[in-house]
Amino acid sequence: MDWVFLAELAINGALTGLLYSLFAIGLVLIYKASSVPNLAQGGLTMVGAYVVLALSHDAGLPLWLAIPLAAVIMFGLGFGIERVALRRLAGRPVIMILMLTLGLDIFLRGTTLAIWGGTSRSMELGVSYEPLFLGDLFISRIHLVGAGVAIALFVGFMVFFRSRTGIKLRAIADDYMASWSVGISVERGVGLSWALASVVAVAAGVIWGEIQGVDQALSLLLLKGLTVAVLGGLDSILGAVIAGIILGILENVGADFLDPLVGGGSRELIVAAVLILTVMIRPHGLFGRHEIERV
Amino acid sequence: MDKKVEAQPILSMNSVEVLYDNVMLAIKGVSIQVPKGEMIALLGSNGAGKSTTLKAISGLLKAERGRVSRGEIKFEGTDITEMLAQKRVEMGICHVIEGRRVFEHLTPDENLTAAAPMGMSRSELDGEKEKIYNYFPRLAERSNSLSGYLSGGEQQMLAIGRALVTQPSLLMLDEPSLGLAPFLVAEIFGILQKINQEEGMSVLLVEQNALAALEIVSEGYLIENGRVVMNGTAAALKSNSDIQEFYLGGGEGTDFHNVKHYSRRKRWLS
Repeated sequence: MDWVFLAELAINGALTGLLYSLFAIGLVLIYKASSVPNLAQGGLTMVGAYVVLALSHDAGLPLWLAIPLAAVIMFGLGFGIERVALRRLAGRPVIMILMLTLGLDIFLRGTTLAIWGGTSRSMELGVSYEPLFLGDLFISRIHLVGAGVAIALFVGFMVFFRSRTGIKLRAIADDYMASWSVGISVERGVGLSWALASVVAVAAGVIWGEIQGVDQALSLLLLKGLTVAVLGGLDSILGAVIAGIILGILENVGADFLDPLVGGGSRELIVAAVLILTVMIRPHGLFGRHEIERV
Repeated sequence: MDKKVEAQPILSMNSVEVLYDNVMLAIKGVSIQVPKGEMIALLGSNGAGKSTTLKAISGLLKAERGRVSRGEIKFEGTDITEMLAQKRVEMGICHVIEGRRVFEHLTPDENLTAAAPMGMSRSELDGEKEKIYNYFPRLAERSNSLSGYLSGGEQQMLAIGRALVTQPSLLMLDEPSLGLAPFLVAEIFGILQKINQEEGMSVLLVEQNALAALEIVSEGYLIENGRVVMNGTAAALKSNSDIQEFYLGGGEGTDFHNVKHYSRRKRWLS
């Protein structure tokens, strides 16, 4: 057994996992406020990446300006989605909202296809592809950057949810009616959660766009993001981060063991197994909120 | 000061009709006045329309696809019939909804923070919290545990405290005594009375527990089948034989003839 190689697999797996977390954090934000897994988070991530490209490559802005500007635009788009589409569905069954997010995902994919076409474009962040050596270990720089962004966002949101606005958002997640009764604007809160999730989507879009190129396939990251979010508990940001690391390591190390046995493709199997087993054995995930029952 | 302005009730509701889903008539021409600084009770049995009346006043009807289809509601002289619920809270109406709906996954302290109006400064909020903890010392003791694990009485106190953070001039409570032991009901009602006296806050109290409610209010309305069938001072209501028999559990034994007589009379009144 080559321990250095195994450690390398585990560390790079953990870093990749944190990139899934980057995606899952957006899902968690919306789930917390609306109790709906946002099936359009993939679409939003893809649009986030395209907006950055449009501002930097097409409009010629430098990246350090294009990315924050894209974040502002996407923040507005998130609010807009609540205002135009979700507000009408307030009080309807959750399945309706779920279908709406699915429709939105298809719509966003179609829109980017119409505007920018389907050829994969590169983000050109300028992060070097020279591997980083940590002792004997090879580490991918872009993954390291992405993991750093994920952790920064995680810390930022932990602080945010202790602020007054953050507490109001958590109150909305608990009880819409009680929130209205004390004058909390549920509509604005849900809008804010979509806006924040859209900003997270820009971060995920830039990093994943750099790694695998910007095209419609970015929206398919939803499946891994959703697995991480479910494993973490759907409404826990901490859960999303830890579950990301776990899934990343499982996937990378597990695939190394399994691939020779089954002839490849075991990554997808591991992800699928994690999703199915979580739902079957621990539906609240690792850190999910349990319904409080007093005895 | 102008005498007329002083005499104006803080809330007046005139022949209000409420429709749910555009078809179900829940209250049929309810008129209620709450004089400034008074405690008023809205009595009646299950499904009589008491909660609907409160929701019409607080604007929470909309969340349940209900609407005021006739009549008007005035708060401090302003027509609020069509106003957004959030706006009404800003104006000073706060509705403690039925069933102790605290934010279960937040601590009591966070529950109070969540209700703070947007413009309230930190020091102002701390002052409000201190005042609330003074009224409800039990809450102060448990201010950092999860609200979902508080006892029923504590949750009711928290729900009232949370409403107080919005600094209402009219506090409306929907069945605060529901499912609580009598000594707790007495404790909570005592505190309500204290708040009413110390802050001059007007209170509209919806109760099935007429016995407890009539002890602390000055005036009461009796609602049945979506209509106000009786209105009077607390003393008058307490001594009314029908109220005694049907809502206070007192009076002479009920014989069937009297019940029939009562319901016939009720039909006439409504």
